[in-house]
Amino acid sequence: MKSRIKIWHFILLLWLLIVIFRFDRIIDAAGFLFLSAQLIFTAPGFVFDQLDFSMVDFIVSVKLIFLLPFILYIFRKKAAIIFRSSNLSSSVVILLLFGFIFSPVISNTHPDFYKNIGMTRLLPPLSTVLILHLKEVATHTEGATGNFLKLKESLIKKPFDEKIIFIDSLIVADEVVYYQKGLPVKMSLTGIEMKNSLPLITKRMFILGTDEFGRDIFTRLMYGTRTSLSIGFLAVLISLLAGLILGYLAGYAGGVIDLILSRLTDMFLAFPVIFFVVLILALFGNNFISIVLVLGFSTWMSLFKIVKAEVLSVKTKDFFQTAKLIGLSKTRLLLREVLPVIMVPVIVNIVFQYGNVILAESALSYLGLGIGNELPSWGSMIESGQEYIYKAWWMIFFPGLILTGTLLAANSIGRNISKYFNPRLD
Amino acid sequence: MNKKIVRIFLRRVLSSAVVLFLLITFIFFLVRISPGDPSQRFISPAFSPQLAESVRQSFRLDEPLFNQYTVFIRNFAAGDLGISYNYRRPVLFVIGDFLPFTVTFALVSFALQLLISISLAYYTVKRKNSLTDKIVSGTMLAAYATPVFVAGVILIYIFSVQLNLFPSSGIAPIDVHTYGFFRKILAYAHHLFLPFIALSMVEVAILYKYLRDNLNDVFNKTFILNLRANGIKEKTILLRHVIPNAANPLISVTGIELGILFGGTLIVEVIFGLPGMGRLTIEAILTRDYPLVIGCTLIAGVLMIFSNLTADIVRAKIDKRVLIGALN
Amino acid sequence: MYRIFLLLVLILPFITSCRKESPYSPDRVIIGIPSDIQTLNPLYAYTVDEGAISELLFLSLVTFKWDEEKGNLKTVPMLATDWIWNSDSTSLSFNLREDVYWSDGIQCTAEDVLYSFDLYSDPVVQSKLLGSFKSLYLNDDSSIDLDKSFKILNPFSIQINFRSDAAPVLPEIIFPLIPKHVFSKYERKDIATAKENLEPVTNGAFKLSDWSKNQSVTLRINENSFLYNNSSIKEIIFKVVPDYNSRLTQLKKGEIDLTELVKPDDISELKRYAHLSIKPVKGREYDYVGWNNIDPDIYQREGRFISHKLFGDARVRRALTHAINRKEILEEYLLNYGELAAGPVSPIFKEAIDPNLKPHQYNPSKAKQLLAESGWTETDKDGILQKGKLQFRFTLHIPSGNPRRSYAATVIKNNLRAVGIDVNVITLEPGVLIEEFYSRKIDAWMMGWFVPIPVDLKMSWYSDLEVTPVNFVGYGSAEADQLLDKMEKRISVDEYNQLLKEFQAVINRDEPMTFMYWLDNITVYNNRISNMDISPLGVVHHCWEWTINN
Repeated sequence: MKSRIKIWHFILLLWLLIVIFRFDRIIDAAGFLFLSAQLIFTAPGFVFDQLDFSMVDFIVSVKLIFLLPFILYIFRKKAAIIFRSSNLSSSVVILLLFGFIFSPVISNTHPDFYKNIGMTRLLPPLSTVLILHLKEVATHTEGATGNFLKLKESLIKKPFDEKIIFIDSLIVADEVVYYQKGLPVKMSLTGIEMKNSLPLITKRMFILGTDEFGRDIFTRLMYGTRTSLSIGFLAVLISLLAGLILGYLAGYAGGVIDLILSRLTDMFLAFPVIFFVVLILALFGNNFISIVLVLGFSTWMSLFKIVKAEVLSVKTKDFFQTAKLIGLSKTRLLLREVLPVIMVPVIVNIVFQYGNVILAESALSYLGLGIGNELPSWGSMIESGQEYIYKAWWMIFFPGLILTGTLLAANSIGRNISKYFNPRLD
Repeated sequence: MNKKIVRIFLRRVLSSAVVLFLLITFIFFLVRISPGDPSQRFISPAFSPQLAESVRQSFRLDEPLFNQYTVFIRNFAAGDLGISYNYRRPVLFVIGDFLPFTVTFALVSFALQLLISISLAYYTVKRKNSLTDKIVSGTMLAAYATPVFVAGVILIYIFSVQLNLFPSSGIAPIDVHTYGFFRKILAYAHHLFLPFIALSMVEVAILYKYLRDNLNDVFNKTFILNLRANGIKEKTILLRHVIPNAANPLISVTGIELGILFGGTLIVEVIFGLPGMGRLTIEAILTRDYPLVIGCTLIAGVLMIFSNLTADIVRAKIDKRVLIGALN
Repeated sequence: MYRIFLLLVLILPFITSCRKESPYSPDRVIIGIPSDIQTLNPLYAYTVDEGAISELLFLSLVTFKWDEEKGNLKTVPMLATDWIWNSDSTSLSFNLREDVYWSDGIQCTAEDVLYSFDLYSDPVVQSKLLGSFKSLYLNDDSSIDLDKSFKILNPFSIQINFRSDAAPVLPEIIFPLIPKHVFSKYERKDIATAKENLEPVTNGAFKLSDWSKNQSVTLRINENSFLYNNSSIKEIIFKVVPDYNSRLTQLKKGEIDLTELVKPDDISELKRYAHLSIKPVKGREYDYVGWNNIDPDIYQREGRFISHKLFGDARVRRALTHAINRKEILEEYLLNYGELAAGPVSPIFKEAIDPNLKPHQYNPSKAKQLLAESGWTETDKDGILQKGKLQFRFTLHIPSGNPRRSYAATVIKNNLRAVGIDVNVITLEPGVLIEEFYSRKIDAWMMGWFVPIPVDLKMSWYSDLEVTPVNFVGYGSAEADQLLDKMEKRISVDEYNQLLKEFQAVINRDEPMTFMYWLDNITVYNNRISNMDISPLGVVHHCWEWTINN
């Protein structure tokens, strides 16, 4: 099936969607960027104090949003790949990358944000809830720094918000009576933000529903993309380095080193990987770093075998012998002579590995050995979702869907690469 | 020739033994340097620290690590893996309660997986690019990408909760010991059907993919065309020529897949509450039952190595040429 | 042919599923439990299920029922028909039944009682009650001095002597008794691995009929027992169903009759099934957030007790409690199956509770005010409180595999962030977490704790940390110590309750930890069981009295 939609069409479409739906946010962000640039010169100490991870993250995201069309235009020649036809797997990859990079712009809440659990918990997709706004207490000073803080507060979300209340309905008389789950709560008008002498009421929609705390699943899914993809990336990197270096060592040096490394590999292979992973995590605790390490160090064996076999065969080839005689160092031998030869099988292997690692992360979460609840990840979402499977299918369905999609994409990309280099295969 | 085979075979067994020894040594030290204390579970709130120490003493945990190790190795050489802290019985006996289920379940599942994937692959290869081919291949791809735990939960939800066709956990009804032979088999099949499906989706998809590529290759080889042209029956071609040729690469995968299967039953055992090695191992790890952890590791290693070895031998049986390479 | 075979294989399970097995049997009850038991010997019955099952198999001297009205124990005869205290409460004589036989036909006598005390207290045997016979005469190794403590008057009558300075209570010497003639065959150190731990010789209301490992434990009623009643249930099966959702499914389908610890979230769904009854029992277990009152680093390095940098101040601890919206968790996660905790004594002990002592309310502004009073203010606009150079940041450790606590941790993190405290939540495996706070290495953690029946608080709150290792937070107050010392004296029940009330007021003021809530144990069971008495003492307690209406 050849579709006429090219990959860059798809990228542009997503970009347009973001710009349209988050127009006011992006305009504010532009103002914020301008203001911070100004303040860097007038009050550098102040800006530096305010700088934290979420702010840097937000600024990078916003800048990329502005630059994306130009980047596409500039790199149109070099990155010919974006002119290929779009298919399911490339669309999935693009979607994941968008979630990864632009989550602070796309989403207008903090992934951990919730308020009034009873009002918002376990809402099905597309639910809307009314918001009553409380009057802002003017805490910020006037002037540029005051404006800066105000803008920062409205743009970079916190996990809590004291100025809003989720409500069912509301009656306005001398004082305000709002209802939460059928129960009335009274409040005086003075504390409430007014518009045209009526309380200001807005709506919030939860596109993919909410979880057991009333947190927005869409937002968490996007921030979870970051966590899960990072875990996959880092773990594969570790496994790649370990497999490459050890494999090269074993193949190049041979003898005792080869023997030791091969037995070590056999040892790891002689034990179902999942037990090894569970053992390490259960014994030493589970968090982001330990999971990355353990998944990295439990998947290097196949790479080791591939690299070792290739090095052994390359070693006998003439060009390698020549290079060695010229006197290239070991590192350069590895990088110049061996790496290009083993590139294809290694790349195919790591693409498959990538899918497996992401899958393993969520399987571990299922067993309660995931990265915990400090960061949202697909695995941890599935973990909490299975508890509510009979009441809130959306909690497990969306992360499950995106996980399956990612696996499929990794699988088909891996196959396409190997097909591209070995056309003989079907 | 025969002598050589025996020698190579022995070498292989010996190196496997070395690997196993390395493995249990590694695990021995790993569990002991990790945080957590096996005696914790047996200490009641009214316990004084001195009494806690005496519990540790009885587990020999107060001795230096190396002494513990030499004692362990000595006992191990005598075939004694120690006594499980939790079960208060010899480790081998405890494992004896759990191993038969896992091995039987894995082997039967594997046989069925092979059967299903061979049939499907054969069926679709004959009808290349037809609608059925596309549907089957698509389904297989989806099956491949569905995580076991998601599949398990969905299967239970549909077939057990909504349709009430299958039980959601356990391997047999409570009063199974009163059943006759056939009724027993039926009862087990009934209970293990959903776990089997959950366990097999990914495996069948992988085997199917391999088989389909191989069958396709073989069917396109000229000698098959020659045989056909000579008017040999399709069935004979299939059984005598196609399957043996296609099976060869499959078998080396088989060893690995079978090993994975022994480990892969873990999540299925958890979801469906099956009494197997996977759950035993996890439980042993979580309660710091050191002797049992090592026992389980050993068994898992033996199974894994044994399945690889068997696969290589079978492969050698089919194709003598690979013998030496495989056994090396 | 091949295809037909394949077809057969595929449809076989469906054929089997057409014939439904009927789990109902007129006089059998099936109870779903999450994990298999590992021993049937009461000496080693560490888990709740093991304890409950061993009490069905083995008789105790007496047994207890829960008096809902008064909130205390009622003593009921069991192996002993009657018991008499001497005038100054230093000795107690039991007269035993003469019609009790072990399942191998040997008669049960006072020798078995004496022997049981001997084994339970022997450090070599390492029973679960090791070290808990504090009112009897003890040897140096904490085993009981048998000659001083016991006197066998005749084969069916035994006298127990207490130390004159102790304040003995009946429950502390009540436990399932074990047969002397069986275990005296073994060396003491080999009792832990005796085969009778798995194939027990029993004298209780039930006897073991079958035990399929990791599948089920089947108990049959003991028709020779004096507890036997023709109309009661004949068989009770403990079926292992590890997955929680599967237990509920089986309950709905009638594959099991009863399960405990049902999550509040599932109640509304279960209520739709007419054959199920839901019985919440007010508990004596609570969740708490432990704030280490002492500085862990200095304690680790030098063994000294110095106030913790963050949590050493009672005002800060109270502020933390005010800042955490416990009510929201109670309402939204526990759906009000529980009660906010004001202190360490459960509301089920009705006479030991001061109704005027209220739990601290959720009040973030009060929290901010208390924090400001103890010097924590926000000076640099980064949203985190400061005191001098020190930022209010800490790590909260929670156990893995407990959804309720991880739910609460998420709320706590969010609530505290809103008053300017940065919390990092780390999940640890329960075994590791317990070791960490036992050795006082960590700043803050969330765990659960319980109040024993009868109420005993000294082990958790006395300031001498060498003798009270379970005073995990390292709380120390002279006022509290004084009250606890008085409670150990020989005093009347009313005086004891009065002291408890005063003690709770002290704790409520000092708030050594944040008491979250008392948890209800929700039991769901099939209506066909009747005559149940589900109490804080346990669900299957006295289950030989259950009947089945068909």
